[in-house]
Amino acid sequence: MAMSHNDSVPLHPSSQSDIDEIENLINAAPATVLPARPQSPPRASIPVSSSPFIQSNIPPPSFHNKPPIPPPISSVSVSPAVLPVTDPNVRPTVSAEGFGSAPNTLTEPVWDTVKRDLSRIISNLKLVVFPNPFREDPGKALRDWDLWGPFFFIVFLGLVLSWSASVRKSEVFAVAFAVLAAGAIILTLNVLLLGGHIIFFQSLSLLGYCLFPLDIGALVCMFTSSVLLKVILVPITLAWSSWAAYPFMSAAVSPRRKALALYPVFLMYVSVGFLIIAID
Amino acid sequence: MDRIQENVTTENYANPSTCFFHVLFKGGALAFYILSTLFANSFVIIFVITVLLAALDFWIVKNVSGRILVGLRWWNEINEQGVSIWKFECLDQESLSRMNKKDSWLFWWTIYLSAVAWVFLGIFSLIRFEADYLLVVGVCLSLNIANIVGFTKCQKDAKKQIQQFAQQTIASRFTSTVQSAFSIV
Repeated sequence: MAMSHNDSVPLHPSSQSDIDEIENLINAAPATVLPARPQSPPRASIPVSSSPFIQSNIPPPSFHNKPPIPPPISSVSVSPAVLPVTDPNVRPTVSAEGFGSAPNTLTEPVWDTVKRDLSRIISNLKLVVFPNPFREDPGKALRDWDLWGPFFFIVFLGLVLSWSASVRKSEVFAVAFAVLAAGAIILTLNVLLLGGHIIFFQSLSLLGYCLFPLDIGALVCMFTSSVLLKVILVPITLAWSSWAAYPFMSAAVSPRRKALALYPVFLMYVSVGFLIIAID
Repeated sequence: MDRIQENVTTENYANPSTCFFHVLFKGGALAFYILSTLFANSFVIIFVITVLLAALDFWIVKNVSGRILVGLRWWNEINEQGVSIWKFECLDQESLSRMNKKDSWLFWWTIYLSAVAWVFLGIFSLIRFEADYLLVVGVCLSLNIANIVGFTKCQKDAKKQIQQFAQQTIASRFTSTVQSAFSIV
């Protein structure tokens, strides 16, 4: 009697396709979920079961995609954005995601995960805050959102404000952190309740990244004691923050309610700006 | 002699360094928060270091120890239509069955215990009316709970896939056995 293994006995056609289905489920290959950016290559579905399970300090067997744009490094898990390329059109060869990863990175070394997350923070920052060609379509703005950038920026702003304050430092820090965190959540809820179409974490991420100009402003204000310089610098950074947040927020709601959605955002950034100016 | 023991039974941790780091930052955040009065007078430093340790722990559990100790992973994607999808993924069945039992025991128990510990600390700070410290506890607790929810969902998904796979394998083997039986007869 023949051994009943899948690869040596011709199976019933329906069970073969069922097994293929199961394998696809297991691989979780995002074949239907393509990245939003046109330059990103389609993902090859590499079966996870063929990769040996490895310790974190041994590099994995290299899975080679066939990207249409040959990146300088051919391994999938290292993103080209780590290289000093400032062209925002060069996107990492990983698909869009938040904190997580693509299917064949279940066995990647730890250092690759770190590099990927760091490069995602930098690319998100460049997309949101600095002028670039993708700004016209705000839906693409933070497709692979992450909350690490906003976390660092909020904590940094709280720290700088706390250092600048001469009295009640703990209170300043706690208030700044709570106001920014709660403010981001409430602003997102505001847009959702106005019938807007945004994703909760994407909006939190965006509002956090738009704090970056205010961070710079606060840092400079910490080192200067001239009120005039502060009064000039803070509105500039405030305008920059609002400009960064505007397209995303305004695209999310219907045109009649645009002001209702944008005004609280502006208000929050203005109050943070006042906090920066008023601290001494 | 230890070597012989290790070869006979695989009841030791398969990934001791990962387990160590998994526990290190959780314990570090809890310990630093509890012993904070010994270390620093300033609330700001306590807040920043505790939350930093908790965030590092979140990242390690989600990206490193989840993969290595239990073979699970979860993340969020936003597809073309702008809809957010939560993805849960596990290793294939043979690798899953090869997971060390001690590793996964440690993983799950420390996750649940640290969440319970933060809840207790939150209750304490509530009793003492310290809103500042409640903020710290709140942040750390939410990070822990996010990981718990993510991995529990992953685990349920994995079990469902194992069941489906087992059913399909049994069905296909039964069918092929019947076929080969009929071909001989």
